[in-house]
Amino acid sequence: MKPAPFKLCMPEEEQEILALLQSYGRDARILAGGQSLVPLMNMRIMQPQVLISLNRCTSLSYINAQGNGIAVGARTRQAEIEESEQIASRLSLLSKAMPYVGVRSSRNFGTVCGSLAHADPLAELPSVAAALDARFQLASVRGTREVSADEFYIGALTNCLEPDEMLRQVLFPALPPNSKSVFVEVSTRTHGFAVVGLAMCASIDSSAICRDVRLAAMGVSETTLRLRSAEAMLEGNTLSAELIDEVSRAATETMNPPHDIHADGNYRKRVACTLIKRALSEVVQR
Amino acid sequence: MNAIDDWTLVGESILRREDAYLLRGQGKFVDDLPVPQNTVHLGFVCSPFAHANITGIDISRAVALPGVIDVLTGNDFVGDILPFKPDIKIEGYREISRPVVATDTVRFVGEYVAVVLAETPYIAQDAIELVDVEYDPLPAVARIEDALDREAPVIFESLGDNVIFKSHFETEGFADHFASVEHVLEGEFHLGRVTGVPIEPRGCLGVIDPVADSYTLWTTTQVPHVVRTAIADHLRLPESIIRVVTPAVGGGFGVKSHIYPDELIVVALMRRYRRAVKWIQDRREELLSDAHAREHIHRIKVAVDAEAVIQAVELKLQTNGGAYANYPFSCTLEATGAARMLPGPYRIRNYKYDVVSVVTNTAPTGAYRGTGQPSCFLAIESMMDRIGRELNIDPADVRLRNLVQPEEFPYVNAVGVRYDTGSYKESLEKALEISGYREYKNRQPKDRLIDGKYRGIGICNYTEVSGTGAPGWRVRGFAKMPGFDSSRVVIEPDGRVAVYLSQADAGQGHYTTFAQVAADRLGVAWSDVTVIEGDTSKTPFGTGTFASRGSVVGGGSIIRCCEKVSAKVKRIVGEMLEIDPSDLVLSDGRVYPLGTPDKGLTLKQVAETAYSMNDIAMPEGEEHGLEATDYYDPPMVTMANGTHVVQAAVDPGDGTVEIERYFIVHDCGRVINPMIVRGQIHGATAQGIGEALMEEIVYDEDGQLLNANLLDYVLPLVLDIPDMEIAHIETPSIDTVGGIKGTAEGGLTGAVPAVANAVCDALSGLGINISRVPLRPSFILAQIDKAAG
Repeated sequence: MKPAPFKLCMPEEEQEILALLQSYGRDARILAGGQSLVPLMNMRIMQPQVLISLNRCTSLSYINAQGNGIAVGARTRQAEIEESEQIASRLSLLSKAMPYVGVRSSRNFGTVCGSLAHADPLAELPSVAAALDARFQLASVRGTREVSADEFYIGALTNCLEPDEMLRQVLFPALPPNSKSVFVEVSTRTHGFAVVGLAMCASIDSSAICRDVRLAAMGVSETTLRLRSAEAMLEGNTLSAELIDEVSRAATETMNPPHDIHADGNYRKRVACTLIKRALSEVVQR
Repeated sequence: MNAIDDWTLVGESILRREDAYLLRGQGKFVDDLPVPQNTVHLGFVCSPFAHANITGIDISRAVALPGVIDVLTGNDFVGDILPFKPDIKIEGYREISRPVVATDTVRFVGEYVAVVLAETPYIAQDAIELVDVEYDPLPAVARIEDALDREAPVIFESLGDNVIFKSHFETEGFADHFASVEHVLEGEFHLGRVTGVPIEPRGCLGVIDPVADSYTLWTTTQVPHVVRTAIADHLRLPESIIRVVTPAVGGGFGVKSHIYPDELIVVALMRRYRRAVKWIQDRREELLSDAHAREHIHRIKVAVDAEAVIQAVELKLQTNGGAYANYPFSCTLEATGAARMLPGPYRIRNYKYDVVSVVTNTAPTGAYRGTGQPSCFLAIESMMDRIGRELNIDPADVRLRNLVQPEEFPYVNAVGVRYDTGSYKESLEKALEISGYREYKNRQPKDRLIDGKYRGIGICNYTEVSGTGAPGWRVRGFAKMPGFDSSRVVIEPDGRVAVYLSQADAGQGHYTTFAQVAADRLGVAWSDVTVIEGDTSKTPFGTGTFASRGSVVGGGSIIRCCEKVSAKVKRIVGEMLEIDPSDLVLSDGRVYPLGTPDKGLTLKQVAETAYSMNDIAMPEGEEHGLEATDYYDPPMVTMANGTHVVQAAVDPGDGTVEIERYFIVHDCGRVINPMIVRGQIHGATAQGIGEALMEEIVYDEDGQLLNANLLDYVLPLVLDIPDMEIAHIETPSIDTVGGIKGTAEGGLTGAVPAVANAVCDALSGLGINISRVPLRPSFILAQIDKAAG
């Protein structure tokens, strides 16, 4: 638990952060809450030469209404999201997923953007962001650009950030007022890294017709997986038991999930099917 | 023989004195100790290969790093430190030895290959990566079946094959008894490999005293005296110049009852460099190289008559011993433990076992809470359920028909172990009652499906070996485990009491419970007793704290020691008051004639005489001082017992198991502190639930350990642990001093089979027999799918 030598920079201004990123490039890593990066450094799996800490840059800490959505800054702690009434009322999916993210003590320091950028295939937030059609704002001294989750995630622990870029904020478009959200996951123990998980939001009208259905699964591929064919099957249709069965089967049929010591691919596939059923059944019942 | 019926403080739930500092984070663990200036910090280069020849080690890049003092390889220790050879004296055992740092060949991932000495632990870690070791990889074996394969690579040429231990036992006329019975049921049970994972990994700090030319080793051990003897033996030093101290230790669970290479290396290096030496283990190193446990395969045949009474049992047990013999237990601790304890609380008169332990290219195995017992009780308790299903008799009744009955005590089991007292029938009946077992069974649908989940109930009866004395260690071949523990009890000049004990606390609450025992026996306030242990320079020699022995042997020794001291007090006071000493009592810090408390003296007044601090002379022929020493070697074992009943639900959609209710009846004889006993039960049961449902060290077939971190070695968290409803029975031992039995392991032993049986009952509608742990969701769902075709 002794990291390799590194230089620590603790800038207070965003411009300074971007300037440091530009000058150090690939040798630098952004340090936000450090809940994933620091253990990896302790095990020397990662050995960045420079750490650029966001922790003194308070201007990156915010939960702001922006246009038709809510923007969350790079330094905003997960616990702040968990406690935010604004998030609970307008982005209930994010709110519901928070208790599954790490443990309470890690959420006190861990950040939303840090977890998103880390791109762990078994992290909850990338799937939540995918299901919410989040916009990832990437900043560098060259300017800013915005990408979707599909564009941001390239593979396990890999994103599309250029060496001089940081994930400056993530913008979650607000859910329609009648939208319902479900977050479900299964793990070997009650609380810990999941084996499979599912984030879902959908609007269901009084005659059980679905609109704006979005489903994103974790643990079934290298990155979060939007289940677009399932979404299309559900869109505009009545959510019957038969449809739920059909959709959950069709959505998982072609999956080819990874195998590891916790579960084989077949198990992940089976459980993904179960979770889709659970999530859809839950929104019908509500 | 040793019945005591005038207990005062024993039996009270006194709050733990340790909690005042431990709960505030003020405990001083080895890494918290102040280090002398100029301390050398160690780092170990570990083998990344499971089996390889070392063809070259280039240290030049490492020693060139500023702050690196030296880098040593295996050859630098040859001659300085003798290899480990744990002198196991049991038929069928073949000795192998282990150098503290590998010289020519590495045999498991994590084995020490070189030692870095540096000015800081960070530099040591940097230098580890700069040591260039050239390996010539050899074919490796990791699993039992692969090690036994004819074509398997042989790990120790001296053995000729990979078998390190073979043992056979059978009762007289076994074959005839077995053949004469109508039903024979067979089962095969696999237990995954696990380890204790104490919250504090291991570590050492060696400090040299140049004036006395002596060496103090602060180390995280459960057995300080055994460590000291091992250092003296392996470094050929006089024991008198070595002092072993345990600071606060964050859990042991048996893992810290072995002596590890680093403990010897730290002492050798402080001698060589004349500087303090420190090493603190990482979690990864702990999971890679500290003692692992289990990885057993039981193949069992039970011959049973039409009334479900067991007539004969045959066991074939295979265990994976790992790459080397851990010191001092080797791999035979679990192998002999599991085979010898399988009869448990049952009247199994005809018994035969064959044990085979193999060496493989995996970490050496050894002691971990429960040692052999979770394993053998998984086998026999699962068979109880199968007998019930086969003969259509409730599994609880199958057990009741086979238990050793109350009138049979003291009972000697088929392998010759004496059960002095026990409450087997009462315990099971009470467990059935508090758990509502019969009602549950009556309500239970045949398919076990209630509200979309398969729900079942499981039982485990267990016996728990505790307080093992010298005969118990000798019969299992352990030459380096003394068996006794000892204490020195001193009434100080101020009348207060100091208890020096040969054991070492690792969080069990010794400073509370042993003060309670001494205060009870000497009639003083509990707060006036100080307990001192974990320091070989202060306490008399003894065995240490593991294998559920602390309260039995430590407690027994303190009771005997207090008797000796109070006899002296009574002699002195008898002379002073001209009263027969046997008419005197010690109570409330005073000594007085029975019935007339105002006539006596305070202990302080007696101490003034004993320490010559007044004008009253000691009685003729009586030495000064007010203390005694006692060495207590308990019987072979004393047997605690208990019953777990578990209600579990299995989700057919994802294979997860939820423990819905948990019931425990336990009997550890005389209870010193009920609150602390409950803590032992809670903790051990939690570890048992972990072993039953999720924990497993995973090696691939090439011997790579795939989960040497706590993200992937899945331990239960508090949310996985249900409330436990616990009932006590108190059946004092008739063989141990004070009637005390041990209690540290029964929770784990009971939990593994009870949880497995509950899951098995839940899935019985599908015709599934559970034959392995851990029962991970992916495994269970695969079983359900397989059963569904």
